[in-house]
Amino acid sequence: MTADDRKTGNPTASGEGPVPRKGRASRERLLWRFRILRLVRSSRVPDDDPTEDAAVRRRLGFSFWLAVAWLLIMAFVAAFAPMLPVADPTKVAFGGPREPPSADAWFGTDALGRDVFSRTVHGARISLAVGGFAIVFGMVVGGSLGIVAGYFRGRLDQAVGFAFFVLLSFPSLVLAILITATLDRSLLVVSLTIGILAVAPVGLLARASTLVFAEREFVAAARVLGARHGRIIVRELLPNVVIPMGALTLLGMAIAVVAEGSLAFLGLSVAGEDAISWGKMIVDGAGLRDLQNATHVTMFPVVVMFLTVLSLNFAGDRIRQYFDVKELAF
Amino acid sequence: MADLAPSAPLLSVRDLHVQFPTERGTVNAVNGVSFDLYEGKTLAIVGESGSGKSVTAKTLMNLLPRTAQVSGEVTYDGRDVRALAAEKVKHFFGVQMTMVFQDPMTSLNPVKKVGEQIAETLRYHLGRSRSEALEEAVELLDVVGMPEPARRVSQYPHELSGGLRQRVVIAMALACQPRLLIADEPTTAVDVTVQKHLLDLLDELRRNRGMSMILITHDLGVAHGRADDVAVMYAGRVVETADARTLFFDMRHPYTEALLRSIPRIDDPVHHRLDPIPGRPPELIDPPDECAFAPRCIYAQSDCLGGVPELSGLVGLHRFACLHPTGTERGMAAMSSNRAAGATAAGLPVTGSGGGSG
Amino acid sequence: MAGTGHAQLRDRDDVLLRVKDLVVHFPAGRRRVVHAVSEVTFDVVSGETLGIVGESGCGKSTVARAIIRLVDITAGEVLYEGRDLARLEGEDLRRVRPQVQMIFQDPISSLNPRRRVRDVIAEGLAVWGDDIGSWSRDRIDELMDAVGVEARYGARRPHEFSGGQCQRIGIARALALDPKVLICDEPVSALDVSIQAQILNLMQDMKRRYGLTVLFISHDLSVVKNVSDRIVVMYLGKVCEIGSTAEIYSRPAHPYTRALLASIPEPAPTVEVSEGGIGDELPSATDPPSGCRFHTRCPRATDVCGEVEPVTEQVGDADHYVACHHPAAVEISPR
Repeated sequence: MTADDRKTGNPTASGEGPVPRKGRASRERLLWRFRILRLVRSSRVPDDDPTEDAAVRRRLGFSFWLAVAWLLIMAFVAAFAPMLPVADPTKVAFGGPREPPSADAWFGTDALGRDVFSRTVHGARISLAVGGFAIVFGMVVGGSLGIVAGYFRGRLDQAVGFAFFVLLSFPSLVLAILITATLDRSLLVVSLTIGILAVAPVGLLARASTLVFAEREFVAAARVLGARHGRIIVRELLPNVVIPMGALTLLGMAIAVVAEGSLAFLGLSVAGEDAISWGKMIVDGAGLRDLQNATHVTMFPVVVMFLTVLSLNFAGDRIRQYFDVKELAF
Repeated sequence: MADLAPSAPLLSVRDLHVQFPTERGTVNAVNGVSFDLYEGKTLAIVGESGSGKSVTAKTLMNLLPRTAQVSGEVTYDGRDVRALAAEKVKHFFGVQMTMVFQDPMTSLNPVKKVGEQIAETLRYHLGRSRSEALEEAVELLDVVGMPEPARRVSQYPHELSGGLRQRVVIAMALACQPRLLIADEPTTAVDVTVQKHLLDLLDELRRNRGMSMILITHDLGVAHGRADDVAVMYAGRVVETADARTLFFDMRHPYTEALLRSIPRIDDPVHHRLDPIPGRPPELIDPPDECAFAPRCIYAQSDCLGGVPELSGLVGLHRFACLHPTGTERGMAAMSSNRAAGATAAGLPVTGSGGGSG
Repeated sequence: MAGTGHAQLRDRDDVLLRVKDLVVHFPAGRRRVVHAVSEVTFDVVSGETLGIVGESGCGKSTVARAIIRLVDITAGEVLYEGRDLARLEGEDLRRVRPQVQMIFQDPISSLNPRRRVRDVIAEGLAVWGDDIGSWSRDRIDELMDAVGVEARYGARRPHEFSGGQCQRIGIARALALDPKVLICDEPVSALDVSIQAQILNLMQDMKRRYGLTVLFISHDLSVVKNVSDRIVVMYLGKVCEIGSTAEIYSRPAHPYTRALLASIPEPAPTVEVSEGGIGDELPSATDPPSGCRFHTRCPRATDVCGEVEPVTEQVGDADHYVACHHPAAVEISPR
């Protein structure tokens, strides 16, 4: 700290130079880059420079990165499953029926002699796609409705709130059965079904945090400056509301992955022999004989799904904590 | 103090240090605070946020979080308070020594009637029966000037105004006839008209009951006229302590002087240009080995930056921690040399009579 | 009054803002309303600083927020340069907004924690980018320099600054649009005492530099006296007393004003106001007392006070108006 800093009462940090003005889009990109950079930097051991931003010093920890590594592997596997050197997951009698794990079939084979390892790899595609699409749908629809309702209040809020409560009160399973039974059981419909179920919880969270931030004086300040509603929502509220919601993305995806499994159990997951999902694999191996004599048929998809859901939950929670920034560090 | 003090002080604090380990480093909240408080006297501890005044009070009441590292001696009536706290002695905190907080809702249970809350204290500490305790609660509410005390006992905290709630808290604090009351910003959350009533009440109670009081405040006006002695704290240290009259009219520490000068006063002329203290309070993490006020002080000389000045003189007399005290020859010399140089040893520009710009 | 009346309005050409019979009600559930502001009337001339004082719940902040249309106006007029802000809606209202800006009480809460302070200060310019003319880095640098925040810290976020620094940033944001009127709602009460003076001095400098007309709201009578040319004393949504600062502080006529002045704890008091004490129970604003709203706590109250609402009347021939049936005529004596 220099004497100059003290007398002017400026924060005790070495100044970053003023950022050059860029277009709005590129500035937003910069912002995101900064956030990601911060995530990466924070994992390093904090150095002794007292001028570092206090927030940067908080650490996400080794276990967070372990979870992220698992999720990245899953995402990679899901994306490139057809190109990976694994057996054809639909090929019947790849080995004998219900063979235990071996060098040929790492996870063993199921009742039809199909390679469980290959099926688990391919199963990641639908499980993660359903989970991801569902939560994105929930975020976009629920989040926008929640923010708009929380910002404008009044009748609109009442109407949206009522819709959310109807969605929440309607037995979700019945709704899912209704939709998948009426329409076809394509990937889109199954994802959409789970996505609709995510709308209300996400929307309520978005609404609640919007209500908190809308009361803050910086929103009043923006109104006084003459900012239009759209600008206030996008510039002032969204960056604040998006953080608790962002953390929820991973948690919500975990729930959606499990939900797909539940639908599969009811025979309502994506239809077709080619459409492999972890949920469907578990159902396939859930017969009494399989459970008694060939536990590996269900165990491997269950363990992979469990690890994935655990990683999603854990990473989501750590990110939430991480972004739970103290407003003020005097 | 003009009058002869009784032989032993009721409360005696010696070289109290409190540190909090945080992610950013160790916060040195209190750095060697010492004072004595005699029976029936009021000591005001004045300071801004971060000065360590509230932490000092919480240390006395054993209310610090477990992470806090405390050292130093606190003696109450010949007993070691920190040892009492460690042994979890019942019926000491809240009986002999009690505390009133800034926000009455932190001390009140929102879903319990106020009478029952006062009665609970009486039953727990003094073993009163339920009906006795409730009767006494009404009396206590009457003592603290609560209108219609018999009706108020069966009200909930949210039904009372801020001022009345604070009266309930004071009644609870008085329930066990404490000998020492620590009031931490007791009137900061209330309006001026209510503040006056509460301060008058505390004053009156102290006199009638022979209590001692520690009044913690950021408001010099509150300290004035309510305290026998005043201790001014800055960056975790007592920088000046004296009887109230000396402190307000014949202060020696430049911080005390600057603080008094910087606040707008009701008898100042309209549009009177204020004399702010430049800069802002120092960081409590890794403070440099110098007078903490030096960077903001218009008297600062090079020796101020060479180490932390100690409080001068004997406990109980006018003491100050300054090498170039205001109102002395050394202070005058320091000021005129700074003016001639146009800046202090810490680099703060000095012009005319006031401080630099904020 | 606490009462009604228009005697305090001035017939001058340079009146910039005239608030007439302003009423603000808030719904309080079960069909009840909070009478936050009841028929408040005052005016502000160009270049003046008008102080509004009163205790919490007196409606002073609501008046400010009503003028700037952050709360809905139930009735009354807010004339600004001949236009009634209370009747403006939508785009018309938005177009007037840059001229009337505000500084908030909580410097931390009034800054978006996710934005860089440069962007916070530039927000007004960005909103009006097309209308007011192109804005440049120079303008932001100039503003940051004017309020005493170094421009090189512009890329930081609010939490990296102290409360006093945040308030400076809030002031820069308000000044960016070159407003005519600046409304300050308790701008220093969240700050440490040693920082308050810095901010008060800064506001005086900014007023001079940018030719502002200021509405200064505070519960602190010493602070209000320091900054104001004229003062409105409010109690429970009504105006008690209004007049030049010198008049109000040297010859307070309303018992409430006198009680307020008598309550101030002073480090070294040199003025004494003798006044009967007032109770500490503020009546409910959902069911305000009849007649003069202050009569339930007033040491001078008589029967008429509970029945007839007093109207503002001039005290002597000075710029001093009081709404009281029994105003004090005595000067307070320097001790």
